[in-house]
Amino acid sequence: MEKRLTLATAAALLAVIGLLPVLAMVASSFHISGSFSLKAYQALLASSQQYALLLGRSVLLSFLTSALATVVGVPLGVLVGKSDLPWRGAFAVLFTVPLLIPPYLIAVAWGAIVGKGGWISQAFPSATSDLLSAAFFGLPGCTVVLFTAFMPLVMLLTTTYVGVVNPRWEDAGRLVSRWPHVLRRITLPLITPAILFAAVLVFLLAFGEVGVPTYLRYPVYPLEILTQFAAFYDFGAATAAAIPMLLVTLAILALEYRLLHNPILELRAVMPGATRRQIALGHWRFAVFGTVLGWALLTVVLPLAVLLIQSASPSAYIEAFSRASGSIVRSLAFAVIGATALTLLGFCCGYLIHSRALPLWRSVDALALFLFTLPGIVIGIGLVSLWNTPMTNAIYGSPAILILGYLAQYTVLPMRITSASLDSIPRSLEHAAQLGGASWFMSLNYILLPLAKRGLIAAWLISYVFCLRDIGISMTVYPPGSDTLPVRILTLMANGAPSLIAALCVILIVVTLLPLGVVSFWLRHSARQS
Amino acid sequence: MKKAFWIVPVVFVALAIALWRYYSPGGAPTVVVYVSHDQVFSEPILRDFEKETGIHVRAVYDTEETKSAGAMNRLIAEKRNPQADVYWANEPIRAEVLRQQGIAAPYISPNGLGIPETFRDPNGYWTGFAARARVLIVHRDTSPKPTSMLSYTDPRWRGKTVIANPLFGTTTTQIAALFVLSGDERGHAFMQGLRDNAVKVSPSNGDSADLVARGEFAFSLVDSDDVVNRMKQHQPVEMIYPDQGVNEIGCFVVPNAVVLIAGSPHPAAGKTLIDYLLSKETERKLAFSDAAQIPLHPDVAGPSYLQPIASIKVMKVNYMEIASKLQTILPFLKSWAGF
Repeated sequence: MEKRLTLATAAALLAVIGLLPVLAMVASSFHISGSFSLKAYQALLASSQQYALLLGRSVLLSFLTSALATVVGVPLGVLVGKSDLPWRGAFAVLFTVPLLIPPYLIAVAWGAIVGKGGWISQAFPSATSDLLSAAFFGLPGCTVVLFTAFMPLVMLLTTTYVGVVNPRWEDAGRLVSRWPHVLRRITLPLITPAILFAAVLVFLLAFGEVGVPTYLRYPVYPLEILTQFAAFYDFGAATAAAIPMLLVTLAILALEYRLLHNPILELRAVMPGATRRQIALGHWRFAVFGTVLGWALLTVVLPLAVLLIQSASPSAYIEAFSRASGSIVRSLAFAVIGATALTLLGFCCGYLIHSRALPLWRSVDALALFLFTLPGIVIGIGLVSLWNTPMTNAIYGSPAILILGYLAQYTVLPMRITSASLDSIPRSLEHAAQLGGASWFMSLNYILLPLAKRGLIAAWLISYVFCLRDIGISMTVYPPGSDTLPVRILTLMANGAPSLIAALCVILIVVTLLPLGVVSFWLRHSARQS
Repeated sequence: MKKAFWIVPVVFVALAIALWRYYSPGGAPTVVVYVSHDQVFSEPILRDFEKETGIHVRAVYDTEETKSAGAMNRLIAEKRNPQADVYWANEPIRAEVLRQQGIAAPYISPNGLGIPETFRDPNGYWTGFAARARVLIVHRDTSPKPTSMLSYTDPRWRGKTVIANPLFGTTTTQIAALFVLSGDERGHAFMQGLRDNAVKVSPSNGDSADLVARGEFAFSLVDSDDVVNRMKQHQPVEMIYPDQGVNEIGCFVVPNAVVLIAGSPHPAAGKTLIDYLLSKETERKLAFSDAAQIPLHPDVAGPSYLQPIASIKVMKVNYMEIASKLQTILPFLKSWAGF
């Protein structure tokens, strides 16, 4: 009973926080000047040919980004999480850095390298640099930038989940075959749900991205929604324009369910005390190291170097701190609170998906994924419509509204990570506890939470990163005088000195990495103790 | 270990709440302002206001450069329960939209009386100050130099010019002004001319200015502050006030505009802030800052690189008419821009 009540409460909470604002927006899309109207949807249909083209471009960009991120991120995740690759910890941190900064800034950094007048044009003949510049401002440039920005997600999730594969299965495989075969036939199939989730995540993130395509002059569908907001101030039309995005999301979701229709998750099991198996790269160790290092230098260090070089003066950092110290602290505080709330709600929803304890588990999954796909501004305006009343001023006028926004948009992240973590724990352990008379909370406290600790920490960290780098919701609902660092970077970008912007980006990266360092230190410390 | 698992998040959250409370404003008198003018220029003005009046400013910043339009959307969405006292718009059209939607309240500031009537709403729903001119940024190597907005349609410049997306910001306003001044037929012809002459569309005025500064294009129509910034960075560009000839239409001038929000929570503090923004001293500061705004008070001197408003042949248009025209031509602009 307590389990069902808790899970139902979590599902209801997600519906109230996430679905109600969207419903408010949808309702407004049927009302023009106080009366019922289908005008917004008629306009959508009237321009369907044009929209189909934009939607096609969005799907193509998202597919290319997701495919590239998966092809590169999975091997990197295995190397970082399971091999004896030198400096693998440093690589994990390095490859994660682009995820920590808004993709728009990565595009700006790449622009300084391959754009006309950039570094490349100074080093290569003009024909080469012209060609690169032309390719950069279009689909190839968008794909490269978004791939750089989102690939760490695939890598991190792969790293996390190769670590929870039951070593017994791999040991059994190793008796008859070498590591490549074991990876292909045992390890990777076992973590397929996590890889597929990462690929879907990257697809959806690229699908909703506006800043990079705008900067690189590649018209995509979400720009249509933005245009309805920014040029027409037409909330109804903007909401109607979001409907095709919902349809694509549902199609992706259906595909994901179909691919995982017959999961082999039951094979996976984390046994307390079991040690992880490491892949010895042998003769290949330094060749692989060189390849990974080269890749890191090209895709991460080079654009970061632009930021570092542009910000390389004490005055830039002094000005950055004088202009943004409050924003830095607020960002940190909001992200910590948001990530903790997300992990709690995500755990409950993730448990619901894992256990299918309530018939509506699939709706909860679909809702969370749908909310993640929606542009932040749609959720933001929905939150304003719903919560900006005299009775709820205490919430709307405080950072609580921002936390609600984070919960609405990002619950899918901890939810799916938790669900995949719980899938790796033998159900027999929970059943045994129940037979022994333990309540659900007791089995959570003594069995599931300790065993799912690694996944929960990953869920918290990813939630933290997404809360910290959020712009869409923060920009729309942050309380006056309480902006966050990414919002401040964005608003200062208009005519702000490049050195100031670069310094703020470096600070944002450091601020993000600091708690990651604390968690990493704590994990190592506790591992040594145990 | 299990204890630590719970303690760490609890400590994190407690620390976060403590920091959040530390940085939250106390009980000082407060004014809430939504700002669409670039933060890098507007924030120092608001800080000076805080110092001089003791009124704490809580601001929401926005930027047309990134098309977020957060402040306008918030003001419209918050109409039933306004949170803002004042809106500092970077151009009067947004202020006019607020008036039309019943979000603006009338207030005639004594400090605004010296500003020419062209730049004020007659009923006090908004007042303009500190303007930008819509000018041509021209690469230094370009010869001969363009002198008119209509140079865009001159075959001599085919494929060599760039303009910011006409769906957003001051470019939209200027196109609407052209439609008002020249009529729909000539307005459409001009837009078709842009297309026929292979004019490149960039995401923003800032991008257009950068493209010209890098020599990728010969000229672009941008805001005067975009040019002044590049000139201060010693980039190879020049600023030309377009259409200054006897029979030409004149240069389009876009003032900032300040609006008192109807039903605002702190109207008295809001009026104090409006008075401050409309003061000569604020105009002087904005003129000498990197914002390079042209003072509209006739007796406020600006820096040498800015022409005084009296010496510029200004396009004679009514901002209310432009706002109305904008609503009618936006679908056309949307389809022109390919959205």
